[in-house]
Amino acid sequence: MTTIDLDTARTRLSDACAEVTDATPADAVDGVPAALVARPGSTEETAAVLRAAAAAGLTVVPRGRGTKLSWGRPPESADVVLDLSRMNRVLDHAAGDLIVDTQAGALLSDVQQTAGSAGQRLALDEPVAGGTVGGMLATNASGPGRVAVGTARDLLIGVTVVRADGVVAKAGGRVVKNVAGYDLGKLVIGSFGTLVVVTQAVFRLHPVPAARRFVTVPFGTPEDASRLVQSVVHAQVVPAAVEVEWRVDGAGTVGVLLEGTPAGVEARTTTTRRLLGAGADAAEAAPPGWGVLPWTDEPGSTGLKLTCALSGLAPVLTAARRAAEDAGVALTVRGSGGAGVLYASLGADASVEAVADVVARTRAVCTEHGGALVVVDGPPAVKSAVDVWGPVPAIDLMRRVKEQFDPERRLAPGRFVGGI
Amino acid sequence: MSGTHGTETTAGPVLGDTPPEATSATGEAGDNAAGIAAVGRVARALMPETGVIADPTQLRTYECDGLAHYRVTPALVVLPETTEQLAAVVKACSEHGVPFVARGSGTGLSGGALPRADGVLLVTSRMRTIREIRRADQRAIVEPGVINLDVTRAATPEGYYYAPDPSSQQICSIGGNLAENSGGAHCLKYGFTSNHVLGTELITPQGDVVSLGGLAPDSPGYDLLGTVVGSEGTLGIATTATVRLVRLPEEVRTLLVGFHTTDDAGAATSAIISAGVLPAAIEMMDALAIEAAEAAVHCNYPAGAGAVLVIELDGASAEVEHEYQLVERFCQENGSFELRLATDATERALIWRGRKSAFAAVGRISPDYIVQDGVIPRTALPEVLRAIAELSSSSGVRVANVFHAGDGNLHPLVLFDGEKEGATEAAEKVSGAILDLCITHGGAITGEHGVGVDKAAYMPKMFTDDDLDTMQLVRCAFDPGNISNPGKIFPTPRLCGEVPGKRKKAHPLVEAGLADAF
Amino acid sequence: MVESTRARSDEPQSDPRKADALSAGPVPVGTPTVRSAFDEDHPPSAELISDCVHCGFCLSTCPTYTLWGEEMDSPRGRIDLMKAGLQGAPLSDTMVQHFDACLGCMACVTACPSGVQYDKLIEATRVQVERHHTRSPGDRAMRTAIFALFPYKKRLRALRGPLRAYQASGLPKVVRRSGLLDRLAPKLAAMEGLAPVLEKREKLPERVPATGARRAVVGMLTGCVQGEFFPGVNAATARVLAAEGCDVIIPRRQGCCGALSVHNGRQEEAESFARATIDAFESAGVDAVVVNAAGCGSSMKEYADILADDPDYAERAKAFSGKVRDVSEFLAELGSVAPRHPLEVTVAYHDACHLGHAQGIRSQPRNLLKEIPGLQLREIAEAEVCCGSAGIWNVLNPEPARELGDRKARNIAGTGAELLVTANPGCLMQVSSSLERQGTRIGLAHTIEVIDASIRGLPVSTLGPQH
Ligand SMILES: Cc1cc2nc3c(=O)[nH]c(=O)nc-3n(C[C@@H](O)[C@H](O)[C@H](O)COP(=O)(O)OP(=O)(O)OC[C@H]3O[C@@H](n4cnc5c(N)ncnc54)[C@H](O)[C@@H]3O)c2cc1C
Ligand SMILES: Cc1cc2nc3c(=O)[nH]c(=O)nc-3n(C[C@H](O)[C@H](O)[C@H](O)COP(=O)(O)OP(=O)(O)OC[C@H]3O[C@@H](n4cnc5c(N)ncnc54)[C@H](O)[C@@H]3O)c2cc1C
Ligand code: SF4
Ligand code: SF4
Repeated sequence: MTTIDLDTARTRLSDACAEVTDATPADAVDGVPAALVARPGSTEETAAVLRAAAAAGLTVVPRGRGTKLSWGRPPESADVVLDLSRMNRVLDHAAGDLIVDTQAGALLSDVQQTAGSAGQRLALDEPVAGGTVGGMLATNASGPGRVAVGTARDLLIGVTVVRADGVVAKAGGRVVKNVAGYDLGKLVIGSFGTLVVVTQAVFRLHPVPAARRFVTVPFGTPEDASRLVQSVVHAQVVPAAVEVEWRVDGAGTVGVLLEGTPAGVEARTTTTRRLLGAGADAAEAAPPGWGVLPWTDEPGSTGLKLTCALSGLAPVLTAARRAAEDAGVALTVRGSGGAGVLYASLGADASVEAVADVVARTRAVCTEHGGALVVVDGPPAVKSAVDVWGPVPAIDLMRRVKEQFDPERRLAPGRFVGGI
Repeated sequence: MSGTHGTETTAGPVLGDTPPEATSATGEAGDNAAGIAAVGRVARALMPETGVIADPTQLRTYECDGLAHYRVTPALVVLPETTEQLAAVVKACSEHGVPFVARGSGTGLSGGALPRADGVLLVTSRMRTIREIRRADQRAIVEPGVINLDVTRAATPEGYYYAPDPSSQQICSIGGNLAENSGGAHCLKYGFTSNHVLGTELITPQGDVVSLGGLAPDSPGYDLLGTVVGSEGTLGIATTATVRLVRLPEEVRTLLVGFHTTDDAGAATSAIISAGVLPAAIEMMDALAIEAAEAAVHCNYPAGAGAVLVIELDGASAEVEHEYQLVERFCQENGSFELRLATDATERALIWRGRKSAFAAVGRISPDYIVQDGVIPRTALPEVLRAIAELSSSSGVRVANVFHAGDGNLHPLVLFDGEKEGATEAAEKVSGAILDLCITHGGAITGEHGVGVDKAAYMPKMFTDDDLDTMQLVRCAFDPGNISNPGKIFPTPRLCGEVPGKRKKAHPLVEAGLADAF
Repeated sequence: MVESTRARSDEPQSDPRKADALSAGPVPVGTPTVRSAFDEDHPPSAELISDCVHCGFCLSTCPTYTLWGEEMDSPRGRIDLMKAGLQGAPLSDTMVQHFDACLGCMACVTACPSGVQYDKLIEATRVQVERHHTRSPGDRAMRTAIFALFPYKKRLRALRGPLRAYQASGLPKVVRRSGLLDRLAPKLAAMEGLAPVLEKREKLPERVPATGARRAVVGMLTGCVQGEFFPGVNAATARVLAAEGCDVIIPRRQGCCGALSVHNGRQEEAESFARATIDAFESAGVDAVVVNAAGCGSSMKEYADILADDPDYAERAKAFSGKVRDVSEFLAELGSVAPRHPLEVTVAYHDACHLGHAQGIRSQPRNLLKEIPGLQLREIAEAEVCCGSAGIWNVLNPEPARELGDRKARNIAGTGAELLVTANPGCLMQVSSSLERQGTRIGLAHTIEVIDASIRGLPVSTLGPQH
């Protein structure tokens, strides 16, 4: 709040939006206190808020339900929290066309409920419960199911956004197939609120499978885990998920989810059990912890996202474990071994230096295997001391994109890669 | 350029066509001759003699892509063999303000690779090495000129294939696919090019090589890769692509189903999808399209069919068996009169050959035709098909329908004889009206062929000025000098403000009153 | 990666690209500068050209596009060039270079979904090129030598025997001086290696009677190269036909069918060969004229077009062309009756362009081979791409031809087959040298020789020497 005082700001925003309140400490964004909270009820109102913020020179951080607001780096400033919780309607479910049109503030669970009424689903997991569609898009959250249908980028077919200057724009549409114009939806996904504010989204849906089965098997070493994962992905059982869990005590499980028709799943389960060998078990219910981000179990722990080519699974697991042991840090890994996307948590009692050491050593191995390491979440001390995002290859181009969309750095400044 | 926006006319009366008038999309021959000569010198210094083409006769073979109606002779053609050569030429273009257009195999159907008379055509047909097939990673790394089908051929011995399969897969390049976000019959289940390209090495319009995405998913930062895919060569040139390889299914069943009417075939499609079956492909052809395919490849489709569906089921055997039973039942319940199941690879190939050759085969039943490409919500199929039939009968213009029924991507083929007076105009009118139908039904003006030069004028029907302006912010970030395939996609270029160190005077378009500076 | 192996440096072709055409500034589109490429006498048809919708489907099967990756050396590009010619562009050296580079393999005709008759277009174009283009002296000498040698049995005979080429005094001077023999020498050596060692030139009688009940009376073309270098193929053809119940008539008077001339734009020469061939067979009163060399069969099926303007021959040519059958085509139509003995061998079948692409004969030879018990058939990858032989193309363009041959040889080796079977002597010669260079050991045989061995119950070892 550099250019004007709070009262002026409040007045200006109130002209633009029916619901503007003073922020409370609970509205702080990852430790950065906010001044005002605006709750627009429509895309137009959102645009008006952004125009008012632009006119007043205020920084803005969009918020869904705040479940992942501590992900990424803390913003440099957060004058206004743009809260989308009023824009919570699922607008249209065209069951025959397998699409759903929803406001960005809608809960993902509401979308699933609507789609579910017609035997359909938005094929995205919800690793953190209680979140909104917008938050899911902005953080590109994903879970085990990505092996079969991918992530938000594979399902989002249309998007309405509001730019930092208050201009409303759409891209894509309501049909699955569409190559008219640039796919702005892709840019929005994973942009952590730094590019535009998403107000509406259209997704492609999938039928809910009639049957599912979880086949699990314990593993001892990272090489075993890798061998098991490879045996499943190269087979023809069409797994919906291939998870790897490596607990703090070094015990591990590979879990495979099969979805389809009852008879089909039955037959594929038999094959999968054979592939995974002695000790493989099958169950109707998900094993404990399935799809849960490991750090959410332990407040104060540090959450990492590790990616690598599939062949990098064993080296990455090994590197992470060695680094953690050397630094005396408790490590849990859980994630999609079949997609090369793993999540890890480092114990809450780890020192900043220890975390920094594990991050640096593991990151090097992830990079060597075609991936990256990002510190997703963690205590403020850790996030301020380590390089949260790590090196990003095309950072100059990304900066230029940001400059075009938000030249005044109004939206969540500093949150993203390279200080964007 | 004649007033044929919104249409894709092929094989016009060849001898009659004249060089098009210069427009902002094509540039003017002779412009910036010094710049072009400079780029030519850079290219010659780097490449073998055959890598730089400036002979007027030879240049003419590069006048057009698969949309032969639009023709512009490029000032220079360069055929690089390495990323370094390509980057150096792009850099020279950037330094000398010379527009460039990338070209793969030149099969595009929207004039995306239409050259600039004042620019350089950069052809990737000599960059065609499959660098790696990484089975353990389920990835392949290929150069942009690699032909789509060759990726599958290289991966098949490993039990894998490359899923996006445009009908042109035997010749279209991966670079072209990436630029157009190409689809294909099997995209119903497996998604489009954008779902299968995980990384690319991009030469920016400044000539820098940047790497976007990679072997692993979810690279941190903005998903520039996702934006580059489908950007029709306007954000730079892809010099490698890292693509996903998909495990060959345990079982594939290809069915050919005959129906009396397209309504019946449409109803069967809806029934199948609503029941939660997701076939690898559901393709429809109507009677006229069947006639053409029969004439071209003797595919022996059911006689007297008003429509056929080509349905392919794939996956684990146990699932396929179940889906097959459902599909068979839904077809019968919706009036199918013949259902053939391919029993071997040859029969499967024959069924597909009829479908995949359909566009070009229409040349057998009509001297000229327009390949249209529009999308509608699948549930609107019967209604839109009826409306197209009405358009056809009221105008007397024949329309053959070939399309990806599963995802509502229509390819009406508007037939005409360019020799007949007024026929071209009538066909263009019908073709345009079909696009309007798509828009009014909440669809899109292109599902896979792209906007190119051909549909740029239609973009404002689908998008507001603000939408288009916002898209062009991306353009400005990548290509502030507006030299990478300028004139494509957007009806009016956006001016990007200060271009560091370039263009001292006002933009020529502003001077000409053709554009406003934002 | 493209290596520029075009025979440009040692080929007597001028390269206009060397001139800095850039300085020419704006490109004149369709403005005649000298004289237009074609005259009014049967230029490539504008109507046929307009059938091309520019889809590019033909590109990947075109050997020259595969080699060089440039549009001018693709079917689509050549059609564009013809169109430019019709619109007034001159028949420049550049333009001719791209027409000359076409192998005439007709893979593009097979690939084209729009039914573009490229075969007709290129033949018309070649005639125009021969009429209006002045070739460099070296190029001229080479071509003259080729056409003074190949169509003549006696001259070819002078070449028999390992490397006899150097001493072959029976050859016309033009052949000895052209440098042609140097180019041919290695291939002739390969060819000698191919010819079954023990085989003596069996003189075929003028009539071979049917074994058992007579089912047909057929004429047989012996061909010039086939007759000289692969006499075993002709003998096998006659035996198989007889075994299948055919009286085989082999007119003594027959000479070259004219394939080479047809495919190289030498119109008058082609016409006179065609007339002579018709004369030779017409009086024999046969149901069919059976041919075992793909290139010959394909051009004999075109006699109707070649002689369409000859009032004396037009009708007769039509009738004649209607009777021409490739031997595998004929046998498949006839249906086999002679019992087959097992041949335990894996076979890679290579589609000769002039059989597969030009005559559309693909399934017949395969089915005939599959009739043989114990024989396993393997498909060759990139089957549709030419081996680079293409009549005289490999003589005129040795380097790219070698590249195509090597590519073919790699794909053949990839099948792991023990025996390579094809229906064309040109292909066998071409591929054999590549296989040899590459060190692949594989037997080589003509389709009919395999059938013959099976009918006669001969062992596999009699088929083509292990290479
Ligand atoms: C223009 C043209 C293109 C052809 N293209 C193909 C093709 O792409 N693929 C294919 O399988 N067949 C092709 N053929 C078939 C051709 O190779 C046949 O061999 C030939 O036309 C008929 O066989 P012949 O020997 O009885 O013919 P003739 O016409 O009597 O003899 C000419 C043959 O001599 C051959 N020849 C003789 N000596 C040599 C030598 N030392 N080196 C190379 N060739 C020699 C040539 O191959 C040429 O075909 C083509 C023929 C022609 C004329
Ligand atoms: C008969 C026929 C059937 C077709 N069927 C389908 C179909 O089923 N589905 C479908 O989606 N399309 C189809 N197409 C359209 C076309 O084949 C595709 O758009 C294809 O992806 C184009 O590839 P190309 O290599 O020919 O590209 P080109 O036509 O050469 O170029 C297309 C565009 O890509 C750009 N480009 C090319 N290479 C690069 C690069 N390396 N980097 C950046 N930009 C680049 C060009 O500038 C241009 O804008 C069909 C076309 C034909 C003729
Ligand atoms: S005949 Fe063969 S070489 Fe000639 S254009 Fe056709 S495919 Fe290419
Ligand atoms: S395949 Fe046929 S229509 Fe297509 S470009 Fe080649 S010749 Fe023309």
